Amino acid sequence: MPDTPPSAAEVRRLLASRKLEKVTVLGANGTMGYGSAALFTQAVPEVTFLARTKVKAEEGLGAAIKQVRSPTVANHAKVGSYADDLEAAVSGADLVFEALTEDLAVKKEMFDKVEKFRRDDSIVATVTSGLSINALCEGRSESFRQHFLGLHFFNPPNVIVGTELIAGSETDPEIVDFVEAFSRVRLGREMIRTADTPAFAGNRVGFKVLNQAAQLAEQLGPVLVDRLIGPYTGRAMTPLATIDLVGWDIHRAIVDNVFENTDDEAHLANRLPGYMNRLMEKGVLGNKTGRGFFHRDEDKKQYVLDPASSDYRPVSEIDLPDLSYIDDVSRLYAEGRYREGMQVFLGADSHEAAIARRAIAGYVSYAFHRVGEVTETIDGIDRIMGMGFNWAPPSVLVDMMGGAAAAVGMIEKAGVPVPPVLEEAAKTGEPKRFFDNPRINIGRFFVAG
Amino acid sequence: MHPAFSGLPTGRHEAACASGSIALLAASAEIEAGRYDLQAVVGIEQMKTVSAAQGGAYLGTAAWYEQEAEGIEFPFPKLFGKLGDEYDKRYGLKDEHLAEISRLNYDNAKLNPNAQTRTWYMNKEHALCRTDDNPAVGGRIRIADCSQVTDGSVCVFLASRDYAQKWAAAQGKKLEDIPRIKGWGHNTARLRFADKVAESAAAQYVLPHVRSTVTAAMKRAGIEDVNGIDGIETHDCFTTSEYMAIDHFGITAPGESWKAVEEGWLEIDGKHPINPSGGLIGAGHPVGATGVRQLLDAHKQVTGAAGDYQIEGAKNVQTLNIGGSGTTSVSFVVGV
Repeated sequence: MPDTPPSAAEVRRLLASRKLEKVTVLGANGTMGYGSAALFTQAVPEVTFLARTKVKAEEGLGAAIKQVRSPTVANHAKVGSYADDLEAAVSGADLVFEALTEDLAVKKEMFDKVEKFRRDDSIVATVTSGLSINALCEGRSESFRQHFLGLHFFNPPNVIVGTELIAGSETDPEIVDFVEAFSRVRLGREMIRTADTPAFAGNRVGFKVLNQAAQLAEQLGPVLVDRLIGPYTGRAMTPLATIDLVGWDIHRAIVDNVFENTDDEAHLANRLPGYMNRLMEKGVLGNKTGRGFFHRDEDKKQYVLDPASSDYRPVSEIDLPDLSYIDDVSRLYAEGRYREGMQVFLGADSHEAAIARRAIAGYVSYAFHRVGEVTETIDGIDRIMGMGFNWAPPSVLVDMMGGAAAAVGMIEKAGVPVPPVLEEAAKTGEPKRFFDNPRINIGRFFVAG
Repeated sequence: MHPAFSGLPTGRHEAACASGSIALLAASAEIEAGRYDLQAVVGIEQMKTVSAAQGGAYLGTAAWYEQEAEGIEFPFPKLFGKLGDEYDKRYGLKDEHLAEISRLNYDNAKLNPNAQTRTWYMNKEHALCRTDDNPAVGGRIRIADCSQVTDGSVCVFLASRDYAQKWAAAQGKKLEDIPRIKGWGHNTARLRFADKVAESAAAQYVLPHVRSTVTAAMKRAGIEDVNGIDGIETHDCFTTSEYMAIDHFGITAPGESWKAVEEGWLEIDGKHPINPSGGLIGAGHPVGATGVRQLLDAHKQVTGAAGDYQIEGAKNVQTLNIGGSGTTSVSFVVGV
């Protein structure tokens, strides 16, 4: 069941309960920094872009304008450097938004300075994609800890609306409620509250699937893996292309953090494949370096990595086994017959289809296992996977498979652990439908291709 | 076809952007004639499967295609640009007021979870922006002045009094708490835009047929004028069409729509709220669905179910849905 949103009157009360007119963004030259800063300029009169140098902050502003395609961003923006402007910008801010590099020490060093200058009533938020909120504010003053939380936008923030909100153990609940209402109403965000667990909800569930795809690529090759866990399994972008887009270094930071700090039923799935480590030493980081699982030459010819040899081969030379079941599924999706398409996938009799089913069973199993750990119910995981990753939410897949009993059967057959929530639902027959969010059109997740 | 419709009498209605309202009129007429006691009116449009230019060309068939649309890129922005030009000629018109209408619709849309633009980057400054980020698409009409292509669908149920009585009893509700269509107006004008304005050259209103549609609906609802209406869901396919609606509803004297904009009367908590939902500009304009969506939003308002975009205490809400360049106009008054 979806979390119950606060009433309109309660939202109005929350929005009126605090002044939020000045935002200072730290690290405003980074992707998340300028993307988030652009969002804020839409909602508040003054946003200060801060970076190591004023020139870098100006570059951030330029990138923000380009990102949302509106020169009006500049009307609400100020720029400055940490050396010259941090004190004034932080002491004047109602919200200090930290978007520095994903490094605990770097962030903590900045918070030393923020603490010195911030007003006692100002909110401090971090856009970390998975570092512990409690660890980030450890050793800070009581006021800091009460006003500190994680506000995790996904990239690019002006397009992806799914946003995680993570309270620390001492964050004032009124601050959490206020930031949630502000982000939802004024920034148009879809808000998901998560626990302060490694990588929170979206990246925990999503990157495990991506990493397993990377592990599979070692034996099957990237082309086949991206076909098998492709659009027909409920996503617009294929997994390895996603890692290339995100950047291999970011992928490593997320899965390493999860691997080191969790011990769940799918622990090994979060271990980075050795070939990725080796290639990163040679500078392979995905699209930003021109090479990842895939790359294109000057003539746009596409090449694919052979993980064993580290060589690239033309994609056109890759032989694929018979995958006609994918075409059959896609044809049904194109007509909006998602359930029937899913049945064709579940019934497809081939070695490859079984591999694909194991990957999807792994996704559903891992997501439902996280209920109670990263979010209170499956609803939060569903919404962040749908509106943060643009993947079919796990509950949608269960519904399309024909309900909990069918999903449990599929998961068992794939040799993947059955999550207690689904096992219980399969026994009782309730709920009959897991996904019931009228604001999310599930058709968008079933991509024919 | 969904199996649920199998074996049911169905019909399809077409009147360009007013299709949804024409379907509502037909459905309500059949109920009043006693043929049926319950009708599902479905509005649906899928527009994003083709490019904007291709979609614009398809929409051009809602005008006199050979004369007003053939070979013209984005014909409708150009036609509604001319509506602005006509206001400018007769009364004067400032782009700033159009930008304010755009801003208001986008702002309201941020309060509507079903609005397609609720996360778009938009504000009055951007609407006034005269750079390539907000390019002109038809005379004075820029992107920020347009409702943009939308996939969308909506369904409402209309019922006879007897059916509603039984339904209310089963739901534990009072019949008088269930919103009714209290009044309707419907009119048609000449197809070509140039003919419409030539005809109205000596009249007070730029589109007199639209004015009579609005007043007919009020009259049938037993409401004297716009002061008896608590909120409006109007057809802002472009900012100029909402500018036109303001004086045609009688909120200001003809040609003085700008006053309502400047005074803030159109805000959700203003004297005459228009498009609390975000309208076509903010919520989206899935062409065939729009008229039905307006009726549903009116229903939400008068039942206090509009959430963040609720007009406090709304009892009577009026819609205005127009097809073509103001060719077909339909208005409903929904109230409790």
